Amino acid sequence: MNFYRFFIKKIFLLVLMCSLHSAANAQYNTLWIPDTLSGTTFNLTVRDTFRQVLPGQQTIVGAFNHFPTWGPTLFWNKGDSVNMFVTNSMLDTTTVHWHGIHLPAIMDGGPHQTIAPNQTWNPKFRVKNNAAMYWYHPHLHMMTQAQLGLGIGGLIIVRDPIEAALALPRKYGVDDIPLVLTDSRFDNSNQIVLSLYGDTMMCNFTLNAQYTIPAQVVRLRILNTASERFYNLGFSDNRSFSVIGSDGGLLNAPVSLTRKLLAPGERVEILVNCTGQNGTSFDLMAYNSGMATDYPGWQPTNYSDVRFRNDLGGRNFNILHLNVGPQTANPKTTIPTTLTTNVFPDSTASIATRAISMALGGSACPPGYPDCYQLNATNFDMNRIDYRPLINSTEIWEITNNSTLAHPFHIHDAQFKIISVNGVNAPAADRGWKDVVVVRRNYKVRFVVSFPDYADSLHPFMYHCHMAPHEDAGMMGQFTVMPECVPTITTLTPTTLGVGALATLKGTHLNNITSVKFNALSSSFNITSDTTIKATVPTGVTAGVITAQNNCGTATSQAYTIVDSANVTVKFLLQGLYVAPDSMRNAMGIYADSVQIRLYAKSDVTTPAKIINTVVRTNGQTFCKLPASFIGRQYYICIRHRNSIETWSKTAVTLRNGLTYDFSRP
Amino acid sequence: MRNYFLLLILAIAISAKGQTINDFQLLSTSGKNFKLSDNANAKGYIVVFTSNNCPFAKLYPERLKALNKKYEPLGIPLVCIRSTDTTVMDEDVYEKMIELTKREQFNFPYLVDGDQEVAAQFHADKTPHAFVIWKENEQWVVKYSGAIDDNGAEEKKVKHRYVAEAVDALLGGKEVAIKKTASVGCAIHYRKK
Repeated sequence: MNFYRFFIKKIFLLVLMCSLHSAANAQYNTLWIPDTLSGTTFNLTVRDTFRQVLPGQQTIVGAFNHFPTWGPTLFWNKGDSVNMFVTNSMLDTTTVHWHGIHLPAIMDGGPHQTIAPNQTWNPKFRVKNNAAMYWYHPHLHMMTQAQLGLGIGGLIIVRDPIEAALALPRKYGVDDIPLVLTDSRFDNSNQIVLSLYGDTMMCNFTLNAQYTIPAQVVRLRILNTASERFYNLGFSDNRSFSVIGSDGGLLNAPVSLTRKLLAPGERVEILVNCTGQNGTSFDLMAYNSGMATDYPGWQPTNYSDVRFRNDLGGRNFNILHLNVGPQTANPKTTIPTTLTTNVFPDSTASIATRAISMALGGSACPPGYPDCYQLNATNFDMNRIDYRPLINSTEIWEITNNSTLAHPFHIHDAQFKIISVNGVNAPAADRGWKDVVVVRRNYKVRFVVSFPDYADSLHPFMYHCHMAPHEDAGMMGQFTVMPECVPTITTLTPTTLGVGALATLKGTHLNNITSVKFNALSSSFNITSDTTIKATVPTGVTAGVITAQNNCGTATSQAYTIVDSANVTVKFLLQGLYVAPDSMRNAMGIYADSVQIRLYAKSDVTTPAKIINTVVRTNGQTFCKLPASFIGRQYYICIRHRNSIETWSKTAVTLRNGLTYDFSRP
Repeated sequence: MRNYFLLLILAIAISAKGQTINDFQLLSTSGKNFKLSDNANAKGYIVVFTSNNCPFAKLYPERLKALNKKYEPLGIPLVCIRSTDTTVMDEDVYEKMIELTKREQFNFPYLVDGDQEVAAQFHADKTPHAFVIWKENEQWVVKYSGAIDDNGAEEKKVKHRYVAEAVDALLGGKEVAIKKTASVGCAIHYRKK
């Protein structure tokens, strides 16, 4: 009888435990892992579709290929040439940008490479990036948030021999798990609402996600695709994890952390050691409670300004529930102590420093985007190139944030190395290759970046805040990597010109100049050397800038102004009339005597180019008004006086408006 | 002063009455023109803006046929209108509308609104976007605007058949309880003029 009661009791407890376990797990959904595509030719079709996210009505989303949302993870090998076919089956135009990938600008998929409905775009390029996780996503100007928010995007995992030689987890979906983090807001009919901050956390577009990982070292590759929210990642049991990779590749060595802040657009690769933990569970969390208020999204549900309210604001929340299961065959159970030896650009080799400031746009915001943020007090302009770094050059970019929010700054094409954050070294986990860097309120971040190839003076790359609403509102600029033959103009002399005057332009790559224009008016010119051009100011000229063009590009000078004549002062003292320094006897009033000023061109010292009969003042000054055509040209100045020896300037003088040539001061 | 007061009353009355729809003439996939006034006995219409291409719209042909089968004999025929921009999506061109009509065996007119004027008049924003219009004092008044029901992919899980509920209420002489819901589907992109 006792045994019978014992047996029934045990059965009851077993059933109860199963029920509780079932009930507990009934709240979770199995994490969706994107399927993969490999090879060198990839066909992607972006389309409108729908999926069951919440109970009831389906949610309209975007997706690639047959996927319910998002897109396939692309596996590329470094060194391969990939051929991408991207077809747009949506009813709206889009673009597909290869985030973090180094490639020609025309293949970049930024706002200029639009794909209209029913069109196929075919970029192709060599994979030059180091092993890391990158991603692809829409980048249509003013539509990035809307399209990315619908779940249009995908991951790219680049493999290379260096990474392959390491004892790292590499079984995709088993011990190498991609995690795409976002938070969304849904309306009463379960449709995604465009908002700054979502109310519902999703991991791989799965609500309340859970996944089983093996009891060994597990690799998590994490991407933040939220509109604005940063995630302060950690585990529910505060276990440490090892950061092994950043946006653009492996770190030199793992960095052990318990918290890692991840901004929109950023990626991080971590290793978590679950060896011996079969049967346990823990959660990947966002420890966002208590975050500083320059990290967006902290405002809780009852916040005063309704625009910023959100259900995830100011609190910690679950991202992914992890159940630890049995080990796999050949498990990785240790974490490498070294990873690679990165060779970063040399900041001492920098030839330019770009200063970029972040601030609120105020009244200068574009229509429809009040409260926008700007870079360098300007809004994005598709037709304006902001920077033109030279190919094979290294530059330092300084980003200063004068706004109230932290912004994740992203640059296309290139991976960079952070030099300093407010004057000190970046955190250890951010000392690898990056293409997104967080610039906090009132901070200055400096990074060094190189542009080793893919010069293209016509097609730009972008740089922008990677919070999609800010990017859409114009917190973005463009740069083109210029070929070495592109001309530059460093100086213009003189800057006050007149019709017929000679302007001297100094710069680089001027040998092959084919046209020079003064405010769009063509002029004659003479190429003196690869660094000097002399151009004659044409008739009809107006004030403006001078442009010099060759087959590679166009250089622009500083601004010039136009005068009708040139006023030149010649100063001398006549020996016979000398009284004291800067003083002669007067003949009439302030005037000492009559004189003749002659100008002889450097090329012809026999025939005067100009004879000016004038008077010299008692202080030695003689004022000559010359035609504007004399400006910029070289002349010997000769003084003739009835009672003095003819005197010439020692050298030919380049005339300019306002020149004073003083014979009395040798 | 009295005139202003009367005008104010009139304005309030008009706004309370709801959006009115002017008659329109569109080409049907049958090759004939269609006008609302063609059916003198119609008490109202179910007007659904849809498309060939939208995956969500593709969930509804059977339900649309069922609605027309039920309500046309009661004087409320259903009509579908395609207003999407075929300059960017040729899957929605007239010839393919004819193919779809035959393939799905539509029992209702499927009209082409090439210049998007009718969609603009209704303020249709998605496909599908359903309207129930009712004849009142020789005017067509919008009585319902929004989704056809609350579950596109799983008809068996539908809890609210918004269009049917609106028509049933109107047939019973009652006020429509849910006058407006968000339409769910693919956006109708209007060409800039």
